[in-house]
Amino acid sequence: MTTQLTAAAESGQPPVRTGTVFDIGYRSYTGEREGLNRSRLAVYKDGIRIALGFGRGGRAKILPWFFIGVLAFIGLIMAIVAGAANRIGGPEAAEQLPSHGDYYSIAAIIIFIFAAIVAPELLCRDRREGTINLYLVRPLTGGDYIAARWAAFLTITVAAAWLPQIILFLGLSMGDPDPIGYLRLHWLDIPRFLAAGIVMAAYATTVAMLVAAFTLRRAYASVFLVGLFVITTPFTIGMASEIGGAAGEWISMFNLADIPLYVVDLIFGKPSMLTKDIPAVHLPATTLILWYLAWTLIPGAVLWWRYRRLSP
Amino acid sequence: MMPNGEPLLSASTLTKRYGAVTALDGVSFDIHDGITGILGENGAGKSTAIKIFLGLVKPTSGEATVLGRNAHENAGVRARLGYMPEHDCLPSQVSAAEFLTHMAEVSGLPPTFARTRAADTLRHTGLFEERYRAIGGYSTGMKQRVKLGQALVHDPAFVFLDEPTAGLDPIGREEMLDLVRKTHREFGISVLLSSHLMADVERTCDRIVVLQGGRLVEAGDVGSFRKETETIFIEVDTNLDPLVAALGRRGISATPDAGGLLIEGRDESIYDGVRDALVEAEAPLRRLAPRRRALTELFERDREPDREPAGNGAVGAA
Repeated sequence: MTTQLTAAAESGQPPVRTGTVFDIGYRSYTGEREGLNRSRLAVYKDGIRIALGFGRGGRAKILPWFFIGVLAFIGLIMAIVAGAANRIGGPEAAEQLPSHGDYYSIAAIIIFIFAAIVAPELLCRDRREGTINLYLVRPLTGGDYIAARWAAFLTITVAAAWLPQIILFLGLSMGDPDPIGYLRLHWLDIPRFLAAGIVMAAYATTVAMLVAAFTLRRAYASVFLVGLFVITTPFTIGMASEIGGAAGEWISMFNLADIPLYVVDLIFGKPSMLTKDIPAVHLPATTLILWYLAWTLIPGAVLWWRYRRLSP
Repeated sequence: MMPNGEPLLSASTLTKRYGAVTALDGVSFDIHDGITGILGENGAGKSTAIKIFLGLVKPTSGEATVLGRNAHENAGVRARLGYMPEHDCLPSQVSAAEFLTHMAEVSGLPPTFARTRAADTLRHTGLFEERYRAIGGYSTGMKQRVKLGQALVHDPAFVFLDEPTAGLDPIGREEMLDLVRKTHREFGISVLLSSHLMADVERTCDRIVVLQGGRLVEAGDVGSFRKETETIFIEVDTNLDPLVAALGRRGISATPDAGGLLIEGRDESIYDGVRDALVEAEAPLRRLAPRRRALTELFERDREPDREPAGNGAVGAA
């Protein structure tokens, strides 16, 4: 090549550039095969990408990011209002406003709608398009697949639940005239809202994925879930107030949107502004926790059983 | 090829019943290195056999091993197997490059190698230029190539192809069969091709396993099937009856079929006899050609009441 270029330069001709394309043919893979854990991790990562619409068209990103934005916006507004109240009316005025313990009861319905819309994306499309068959002929089992998908959506829902709380905490501490003093007084709110976020997300994820596991159509699953959460609220509240007493307390337990909120209240040590009037909060803490576990673990077991039995 | 000469796939008195329905009935065969066709009509038991080999279905009795292991008890062996299903199985929203990378990771490859393998596989299957387009916008032929690609992306030792030419036009079908041949001859991956199309199997496979009603009909080299199925077909413009009589006088029996005559036989003396009979009967010849027996006829032979089904078969180069 160098000789050609030199000769071309000496002769005054433009240099001739030559190249060769080599067909390297088929190369067998001789590297490491990382086994089942790599398979599970791949399905988990893919679940996160689906939930957030990554690697898909723009429309796939609209709904998940809209709801994450709404949740964050609520946290931001609460932080701004609390900061303003603190500056105008002092710490006593700020204490009267909704805070970490109240956030989940305010945002619960949005978290549930987020789960109702996004969870079917993770499951229905794979079954409807037949892609699930390609997973099941690999080292994964149906149980591995659903566990990885569940973990992926739990991660997203936990992040969506925590993000506004982190914004709220930062806003409250920065808005306080003595941020270090605020941190010293309220540091326990951090593990509380983290734990409560997991409680909310585990329930929303499991129930939403269970419903999505029984239909091929995402719209059916989403509408059914939203209806389930929205319709049970007025129905159970009306029945509970009509009947009253112990029976009313138990009827109010069937308000699906409130089931995790009883445990959230226990974590924060007091009922939130929105749950304090619900009859069920007067039931023993053990009953409320067992009720929550029943509504989370049983759907989880049914979900696992459903996928364990799947075969191409 | 297994290092000790053992078969890649082995079925031993394999039986699968779904309630009262017997999908596989005591089937035994071995499959070695190469391209093997598994042939049968709908409901013959092809898909059940593949599912048992992949470990997705447990046999009622008998044993199936793949690469020396029982995939039902050891799902890890599936990391070295590929499967291309007959039906739709591709996500519409993602690109071929992203999908194959993901499938390679699901098969256990580290992410960096998965990306490289996906690009290489798409190049070999002829989709390199289109790899960043969403699969939903692909033609049927391109989707079949993606299906084949996902079965090969993790460099399996053995790949199951279930009706790979389904839905393809003649050109697409020929290209797909070329890819199947390339899969073994250039990539070194052994293939079990399931089909109900005799022509596909004849043109692509070295060996063949024929199932009918859950039972093994035949197993062996494709060449031996060709020999058995050769028949001479004669079509004349007139004088068909005098021709039959002239053939009969030469000891050649002819069966009327589709306006012509079918003559069983494959040696030169049959051709000489036909020539002489045509001259004697003054029958203007329109067509004389070897005729291959249709797949259905191969199965009809098994339905004959006095014929015993094949008990077992060893297929492939040991």
